[in-house]
Amino acid sequence: MAREMAMLHDVSRCSACRACMVACKQWHDLPADFSTPFEGQYQSHADLTSKTINLIKMNERIDADGKFHWDFIKFQCMHCVNPGCAKGCPKNAIAQLDSGAVVVDEDKCVGCGYCTINCPFNVPRVDPDRNKSTKCDLCFDRIEQGMVPACAKTCTAQAIEFGTIEEMRELAHKRLEVVKKDFPNAMLYGVEPNGVGGTHMMYILTEKPEVYGLPADPKTPDSVNLFKDIIRPIGHIAGVGAVAGLAGVFVLSKMFGKKGGD
Amino acid sequence: MDISRRSFLKATGLSGLGLALSSLGLNLPTVKAEIKKEFKLTGAKEFTTTCHFCACGCGQIGYVKEGKLINLEGAVDSPVNRGALCPKGQGYSHIPNSEERAKVPLYRAPGSDHWEEISWDEAIERAAKAIKKARDENWIASEEIDGQQVQVNRTDAFGVIGGSQINNEECYQLVKMFRALGGMYVDNQTRVCHANTPPALNAAFGRGAMTNQWYDLKNTKLVWIEGSNMAECHPIGMKHVMKAKDKGAKIIHVDVRYTRTSKIADYFIQIRPGTDIAFLGAIINYVIQNKKYNEPYLRRHTNAYCLINPNFGFDDGIFSGYNPDKRSYDMTTWMYQVDENGKPMKAAELEAPNTVFSLLKQHYSRYTPEKVSEITGASPSKIQFAAELFANTEPTVFMYALGLTQHTIGVENIRCYTILQLLKGNIGVPGGGIDAMRGQPNVQASTDYGLMFQYFPGYLAWPTQNTNTLEKWTNASGTFRAKFLKNLMKAWYGDAATPENDYAFNFLPIRNTHNNYSIYCQFEAALKGIMKCMFVCGQNPQVSNPNLGMVHRGLCKLDTLIVEDPYVNETAEFWNRPDNPEGSEPRPPSEIKTEVIFMPACSYLERCGTMSNSMRMIQWRMAGPDPVGDSKPDYEILDMLWKKIRELYASSTDPKDNPIKALTWNYRTGPDMVIDLMKEVNGYDLTTGHLLNGIGEIKDDGTTNSGMWIYAGVIRDGEVHMAKRRGQEDEGDMGVFPNYGWVWPDNIHLLYNRASCDENGQPTDPNRKLVWWDAAAGQWTGYDRPDVGSLTAGPDTPAGQKPFRMTGEGIGRLFAAKYSDVENGQTRDASSTPVDGPMPEFYEPVESPTKNALHENPNAQFSPCVIYPRMPDLQKIGTKDEFPYVMSSSSLTEHWCSGTITRHIPWLNELVKEPFIEMPHKLADKLGVKSGDKVKVRSTRAEITVKAMVTNRIQPLRINGEETFVTWMPYNWGFKGLSTGPSGNYITIDALDPNAQSQEFKACLIDIKKA
Repeated sequence: MAREMAMLHDVSRCSACRACMVACKQWHDLPADFSTPFEGQYQSHADLTSKTINLIKMNERIDADGKFHWDFIKFQCMHCVNPGCAKGCPKNAIAQLDSGAVVVDEDKCVGCGYCTINCPFNVPRVDPDRNKSTKCDLCFDRIEQGMVPACAKTCTAQAIEFGTIEEMRELAHKRLEVVKKDFPNAMLYGVEPNGVGGTHMMYILTEKPEVYGLPADPKTPDSVNLFKDIIRPIGHIAGVGAVAGLAGVFVLSKMFGKKGGD
Repeated sequence: MDISRRSFLKATGLSGLGLALSSLGLNLPTVKAEIKKEFKLTGAKEFTTTCHFCACGCGQIGYVKEGKLINLEGAVDSPVNRGALCPKGQGYSHIPNSEERAKVPLYRAPGSDHWEEISWDEAIERAAKAIKKARDENWIASEEIDGQQVQVNRTDAFGVIGGSQINNEECYQLVKMFRALGGMYVDNQTRVCHANTPPALNAAFGRGAMTNQWYDLKNTKLVWIEGSNMAECHPIGMKHVMKAKDKGAKIIHVDVRYTRTSKIADYFIQIRPGTDIAFLGAIINYVIQNKKYNEPYLRRHTNAYCLINPNFGFDDGIFSGYNPDKRSYDMTTWMYQVDENGKPMKAAELEAPNTVFSLLKQHYSRYTPEKVSEITGASPSKIQFAAELFANTEPTVFMYALGLTQHTIGVENIRCYTILQLLKGNIGVPGGGIDAMRGQPNVQASTDYGLMFQYFPGYLAWPTQNTNTLEKWTNASGTFRAKFLKNLMKAWYGDAATPENDYAFNFLPIRNTHNNYSIYCQFEAALKGIMKCMFVCGQNPQVSNPNLGMVHRGLCKLDTLIVEDPYVNETAEFWNRPDNPEGSEPRPPSEIKTEVIFMPACSYLERCGTMSNSMRMIQWRMAGPDPVGDSKPDYEILDMLWKKIRELYASSTDPKDNPIKALTWNYRTGPDMVIDLMKEVNGYDLTTGHLLNGIGEIKDDGTTNSGMWIYAGVIRDGEVHMAKRRGQEDEGDMGVFPNYGWVWPDNIHLLYNRASCDENGQPTDPNRKLVWWDAAAGQWTGYDRPDVGSLTAGPDTPAGQKPFRMTGEGIGRLFAAKYSDVENGQTRDASSTPVDGPMPEFYEPVESPTKNALHENPNAQFSPCVIYPRMPDLQKIGTKDEFPYVMSSSSLTEHWCSGTITRHIPWLNELVKEPFIEMPHKLADKLGVKSGDKVKVRSTRAEITVKAMVTNRIQPLRINGEETFVTWMPYNWGFKGLSTGPSGNYITIDALDPNAQSQEFKACLIDIKKA
């Protein structure tokens, strides 16, 4: 029987060795990407790109008490329980697998970019060369073979854990108790149902989500639910033209607005 | 196992390998996907190997299709890494597919500005002839030393650099052939990295290696990381630290800046570069003053109660016996008071006059938190906190790497750890120890194999003018070690080495103790016209040495440079240097008359052999993908080279060439050569032809041979290679894994584990039981192999009471007294004493921003035994008025050593793109610099331009009342590779520790200006 899986990143343990980034690229045969120049920062890429689908963010911070912190977090697709990207995909090219992995089917993807707009975490990136949406696929092909995703397997500090969703929830709660001793503001993120239904990428954060660039209260856009449940079924009957027309009501304006800002 | 796992195993051929299922991480329920994607590994052939960066020795599984590597990941069945790999180990998968790999041998003619492709035959012939020419034209049959004419059978015109990057079998070939040629300038990266470790640990415990295995870290309660950025430079070691943390251990990180290690530590304390002895001296002082030491352990296992010569003294930074003209000590007063048998006398009371303990107490009483704060910049309260933490937590493990070694006081830095651990009884016990984390994949073995001028394989001292006969050598090193030297000579010279001819001792070149043969001085010898031909194998001194201008000038003066490497690196192409950080324009190639022969070597993934990791574990590496182009395994290259040299000398009748002709060299070809070489290292019973099963079978009468005694037992009859073992057993759950790989000596994982037992041979802590005396069975036993000379010598015998059996005294040495143990009128074994003091004393770095706060004596500003400059015209000491800021230097997670490999991995280059300098905000404000601005960094040696990284991770320090700015720079760049940039090592100083000649990378003075 298929099992629902999850990944847990304990940021208090992460050393930002970035082995997970290299392992990800190695497994997925992704090339190096020098889109962010070095300007005196440790973080390698300003944000996710179509070639960098897993990013360790690194940020120096002084807290209200004047104490120094170096915050690290692994950032990639959150594999939402209620994935806006999949629901909003006009080509039905994004599947949510039984494992919980949310995966782009490249055979179907046309690179329209709706998924980027509909993602509350701003994760998917359209590869301009191939016109395909790209993002973490939770190494679903490895999971299928009983293997741990490349990033979790290679993690040098056991900051990234992977297992069944029940195991990860239990581990998250257990570790939170320990982490709280050093970080009183520590909290779980994505472990329990939230505005995206919870996520299969879960975190133990030492500070509130905004410190790590995560939305405090992520939400699958209402418009996507509308699209998924009402408009797309109609569109599929009426044909692609109808989809574009109807989808345009709520998506295209956002998309163009976004592109203008890039 | 369900269907998909079975089909996966079948598809990948795993069942053929016979590995445990867990080796691939197949421990999850499988989930069927709806999306069709061909599984990457289907149809691939696996092989297992070990990683090639730091010396963690992580297990890897590679996957090959049609001769090409398609995937590389951590082996889950390796207890070292359990499937994990750091970004470097993961990124190495690019190297067998790298376009830039050298594919054919190359030749650069004198004065030429380009390479020419040549055949292997031509490359080998040119190299062999160049070596022969350098040797024959510069042979020193005898020379005058200290007024005596001494037969020395040596050449100083040919040098070897390398060993830490090649397999064990290749290290053995290299040292054997080079020494048979009469060479003395032999060195490898261990000199630059950890050469200071063996003399320091040896002085206290009798062996020079990391004491505890990686897997033992889980047993500790306090991980003290000082002199290491472990999360970045030994990431998998850190994985074991995190296991300890999960069981409640605390982590303290003491370093010159806040790093990724500090981020996951519980506590961080910043100190000024080069002040570890002051900091640790305060901890020693606290432990003694507050009686936090382990008295029973001191009594049973150390020399704390031993009485030292009453004339021993210490005054204003100088120990008794100092000769300021020679800048060296006469150690006569550093000896014990001995009884009629020559054994050390002990006092009844710990604090009786002249006991080791009372000398320690007095010596470190000066190291108060207030005084140490002035020196280090750490506040007195933080120093107090650290001292209390150490004193009240048991056991503690000390983790260090180059942050302690790369100083002119490197040996004495490490000696502080040995004192602290002996005081607390933390050596030989689970969760304790001093873990000297080696930084090159096979640097433990390149040291083991004696690719250093002062050693044979197995840490036997190379003969000098004072020990130039077997008798004199035995008198100095002892009968215990003479046995192993005879076995080595039997391995090297076979029938030509007999008891009657002192095992051909007269074949050996003799070292002149007045010459410094270290890697730095190889280039100085070239500048002086002594060195003519250099062979560099898997090393890149044109990036990794300090004061790179010296390296470049030396290379320009050579007749011939031979380089063997997977890439044409900066050393091979030194003549094509695009700029000159020393100021003037780079010399045009036409003016550089050095011929260069380049031989393309396979990467480790493409050849088989064994490597020894930091915990002395020897592991087998299978060959995976096909070699790139016409590159060859190093063992084949060295074999071809030696056979050509031997051919050139075949008709010689000159006696100086006899060692070449007599050297044994009977190995099969291809991968079998590797097996035969390890058999010779292991040794044979020459009367039966059987392989030896351990050190205990080595005989003193010429009926056995063993190329290196400490590895005896690694390969057994029937080609049972212990290094290939992958057993998962860990009886007792103590983190030993005795059936995984094989650990020298005799598969003892936790060195000195006898010290975890009391007088009766019973574990002092029943909760951390590792070895014990089984009275009923009449032998030592346990979960680890007991570290005793004889398993049947019980606690009621003298041999059963030697927890530190490799020191002359058999006990741990808080005070490194000069001592030889005499038995039947002959030296049995001798202890090792650092040349710069029997107890660590704080001295400033050679380039320092302040006056030594502990002493007025000008000879004690920096170490009284350091001789610098060696070449005053070319080596200057920068001063604070011109160079006001302190710079420290090291590697980081993503790039490694000279960067020859990592700068060819695009996945690492995208993470860290170029060199930079880290500086505190306050300094940046003063200089008008923002993060990302270019700055000129200048020392008295050179100037380079890099970008600034302005950070809160380094804070300004208050040193002796003055605000002091510390900066840091990675050194891993050069002008070759996919990521190029200025080499930080043009800036660093080549002042050396007087014991083992490691350089002071960690502290020099610079000026910074906005570019």
